[in-house]
Amino acid sequence: MNNIALGRYLPLDSVIHRMDPRAKIGAMLLLMIAIFIPAGYTGYMVIGVAVVLAALLAKLKFSFLWRSMKPMLFMLVFLLIINILIVKEGFVILQIGSFAVYSEAIMQTLYIVIRLMLMIMITTILTATTKPLDLTLGIEDLLKPFQVIHVPSHEIAMIISLALRFIPTLIEETQRIMKAQASRGVDMEEGSLKEKVMGILSLIVPLFVSAFQRADELANAMEARGYIPNKKRTRYKQLKMAGKDYILLLISVCILAFMISIQLDILPFTVDWI
Amino acid sequence: MEKIKFEHVSYSYDHETNAIDDVSFEIEEGSYTAIIGHNGSGKSTIAKLMIDLLERDKGNIYIDKMELCDETLFAIRDKIGIVFQNPDNQFIGATVADDIAFGLENHQVESERMQEIIDRFAAKVNMTKYMQSEPTKLSGGQKQRVAIAGVLAMAPSILIFDEATSMLDPQGKAEINHLIQEIHKENKLTIISITHDIEEVAHADHVIVLDKGKVVMQGSPVDVLKREQQLIDLRLDIPFSMKFLKELHAHNIKTKQCITMEGLVDELCRLHSKM
Amino acid sequence: MPIAFKDVSHIYNADSPFSYVALDHIDLEIAEGSITAIIGETGSGKSTLVQHLNALLLPTQGELQVLDQCIDSKQKPKNLKQLRKNVGLVFQFPEYQLFEETIIKDVCFGPKNFGVQEEEAIQRAKEILKVCGLDDSYLEKSPFDLSGGQKRRVAIAGILAMDPSVLVLDEPTAGLDPQGAKEMMELFVQMNRVYHKTVLIVTHDMEHVLSYCDQVVVIRDGHMERACGVKEFFSDIRLLRELRINPPAVIQLRERLRSEGFAIDPSIIDIKQLAEAVASEVKHHE
Repeated sequence: MNNIALGRYLPLDSVIHRMDPRAKIGAMLLLMIAIFIPAGYTGYMVIGVAVVLAALLAKLKFSFLWRSMKPMLFMLVFLLIINILIVKEGFVILQIGSFAVYSEAIMQTLYIVIRLMLMIMITTILTATTKPLDLTLGIEDLLKPFQVIHVPSHEIAMIISLALRFIPTLIEETQRIMKAQASRGVDMEEGSLKEKVMGILSLIVPLFVSAFQRADELANAMEARGYIPNKKRTRYKQLKMAGKDYILLLISVCILAFMISIQLDILPFTVDWI
Repeated sequence: MEKIKFEHVSYSYDHETNAIDDVSFEIEEGSYTAIIGHNGSGKSTIAKLMIDLLERDKGNIYIDKMELCDETLFAIRDKIGIVFQNPDNQFIGATVADDIAFGLENHQVESERMQEIIDRFAAKVNMTKYMQSEPTKLSGGQKQRVAIAGVLAMAPSILIFDEATSMLDPQGKAEINHLIQEIHKENKLTIISITHDIEEVAHADHVIVLDKGKVVMQGSPVDVLKREQQLIDLRLDIPFSMKFLKELHAHNIKTKQCITMEGLVDELCRLHSKM
Repeated sequence: MPIAFKDVSHIYNADSPFSYVALDHIDLEIAEGSITAIIGETGSGKSTLVQHLNALLLPTQGELQVLDQCIDSKQKPKNLKQLRKNVGLVFQFPEYQLFEETIIKDVCFGPKNFGVQEEEAIQRAKEILKVCGLDDSYLEKSPFDLSGGQKRRVAIAGILAMDPSVLVLDEPTAGLDPQGAKEMMELFVQMNRVYHKTVLIVTHDMEHVLSYCDQVVVIRDGHMERACGVKEFFSDIRLLRELRINPPAVIQLRERLRSEGFAIDPSIIDIKQLAEAVASEVKHHE
C-alpha cells in the first residue's frame, strides 16, 4: 500500500501546496487539453519543462513521480508490441527474417508514451500537493455554475468527502474480517474453488452488513446534527484565489495558446527545429 | 419547568412487538436524567423518537411544550444534541475542525464566525491540539469528545448521550463521564444519559428504568436503587457501595444507605471516628 | 507448557519510514489450563500479541511455541491449519463475522473448514449452541435477526465448535450490559473448568480480571511489564497506579479506607473479607 504514488497526498510545505485547489484543477484541465493537441515534440517539450518546474516547486522527488508512472509500464510495453505488429510505415530499423520493425512504430509509441507520462505527472502533482478534502472543495466550487442545469454540486462533494473519510475505516474493517475468517479456517490461497467462493462470501457479506449499518448510523448522526439534503448550507473552509493562483492559470492558458498556435501554424516564427 | 414530555408513546420496528410500549414520562428543565435498561430494553429508541429519526406509532412527544410534528420537527432538532454510541460512525468531517464545523454549516452560521466557535468548543473538550487530525489518528475517547464539541457548538438546550461511553476503554469512559458532569455543572442544559452503567445512575437527578419497552421504575437514584432485587431481575446491577453495605450489615453494623463510593467512604469514616 | 514466547518482537512496516515497533522482546509463558487476562492501554500491543498465537502475524524476531508447534519469522508453520484449529481466536465484536443464512450453518463453517464431516459438525454445533444459551429453536434462524448479544454468542459458538484447546478472546464483553457480560465471562470459566481449555482474555475490565481470571499479563508500550497471579497483581498498588489502571471497586475501597487510617490487610481482594475487616475495625473503635 505504501508504494502506490499515484493519487497519494504528500504533506509537504511548498508554493504549489498552498495554491488554491480550483486553480490547480483548472491548470490541470488546461494542460490536459494542451496535451491532446498534436503539436509535435516542441509543444511537449514546453509542457514537459513546465511540469518539471512545477514538480521542483512542489518539492516532489523524481523517484516519487517515477513510481507513480510504474503501473503504466506494462501498458506501454503492450502498446509497443501492438504498434510494432501493425504499423508498417517509415523506414525499417530492424529486420528479423521476414519480420521488419518500422521507425514509425517506435515514433508513434514514443508519442503516446510522452503524452501519458505528462498526464500522469500532472495528475500526480495535483494529488500529491492537494489534500483530498481540498480537492473536493475545489470540485464543488467548480461545479457550482452547473447548478443551473441541476447538477447537485454540493451533494456530489458531500458524497466524495464522506467516501474519502470512510475509506481508511473500511480498509481496516476488511483486514479485521479477513483475519477473523482466517481464524475460522478460511484459506484464500489453497483449497478448492468451492472453498474459495465460500471464503470470498465470508468476507463480502460481513463487509456489506457493516457498511450498511455504518451508513445508517452516519445518516442518523448527520440528521441529528441538522443536515437536510438540498438545503442551503454555509461552508467552513473558504477557498481564496491569490496572485500565485492567477499566475498559474495564466501560464497554463499561455501554454494551451502556444500549442494551438503551433497546430494552426500561426506563429510568426518557425518551431520546426526538431 | 417541564422540558420534555412523553405521553403514551409507542413504537414498533416490525409491527408485531412494541419496542416502546405506552411510555409516559416528564423531564425537568436543567435536570440530569439517566435512562437505564439492559440491551434491547428500548432505551436507545427513545432518543431516536425524540428527534423523529424514528416516527412514533402512537402518543405525543412535547419539547418545550411544543408538540413534535412535521412543522416543528426542525425547530425541535435544533434544541437537541445527541452523542451516539459508535465514535466512528458519527465522525463526519475529514478533520476535527471540519467535524465540529459540520453542524454549524447546517445551521448556516457565517463562515467568518465559525473559526472562533470551533476554537472555543475544541478547547472546551480539550482537543485544541488535534484540530487538523484525521479520525483514524484519534482514540475512541477523543472521537467522542469531538462529537460532544460538535453538538455543543450548535447550542442545544437538551443534550442526549446515547450509550456514548459503551464502546470506550476505561480511560475514555472516565474522560467522557467527567466531561458530562462538567457540562452539566457549567451550563443550564437538560441532560439525558442513556446507559446500562449503574454507577452512572448515582450522579443523576432522576432515573427512568425501561424493560421490554415499558417504564418499570421512575424516581430519584436512591428510590430506584433501593429496589435491589427488581433491578437484578431486570438484568441490571446495583452499585458497588450498596453491595458492600449489604455485606457489612450482615455483621450487624448499621449505616446510612450510600449509592456512591464517595458517600460510602464518608459514612465508614464517620463510623470509624465515632468512638 | 502450551504457550511460550521467546524474545518475540513484532515491527509493523519494517524497512519503511512508517515502521512501528508493536512488540519489543517479549518473553512469556502461559500455563496450560489457566485463565489469563492480558491487559494494557489501548495501543499497547495486546492485539498484536494475541494474533501471533495462531500465526495471523509472524514475529519479526524471536519465536514462539504454541502447543507443539513453533512459529518464527521465517515462514508460516507447516501445519497452519492444525494450529488455527487448535487455537481459537475470537476477535473484538465477533458478531461482524457472521455471514451464513442460518445460525447452524454459520457455526458449522469453522469445523467444516478444518475437515470435520457435515454430520459431526452439525452435532457439535448443536451442543455448543446449547452451552452458549441458544436452544434448538434458533438453529434455522438467520443470525442477522438476533439481538446484539445473541449474535456475539453465535460467533463465539462458531469458534468453540472448532474444539480448540486454546481459546483466545479479544475484549469479548465490550458493549454488553452487566448481566450479558457476566454470563459471557461465566461461559469462559465453564470452558476452562469443564472443557479444560486454556483461556486468554484481552480485557480492560478489572472487575472481570479479579473475579474470573487466574493470571495477569501486563503489556505496556510493547514490553512485557508483568506476568503474575491475580492476587499478587492487585496487591501491588504502586504498580496499578503507575500503569494508570483503575482498580476494581473492592481494591479502590480498601485503599481509600487504608489511607483514612483503617487497619486493613492490603492483600484482601474479596468483598466479603473486606466487609469483615471493616466490621471488626468499626467494632473495635466502638
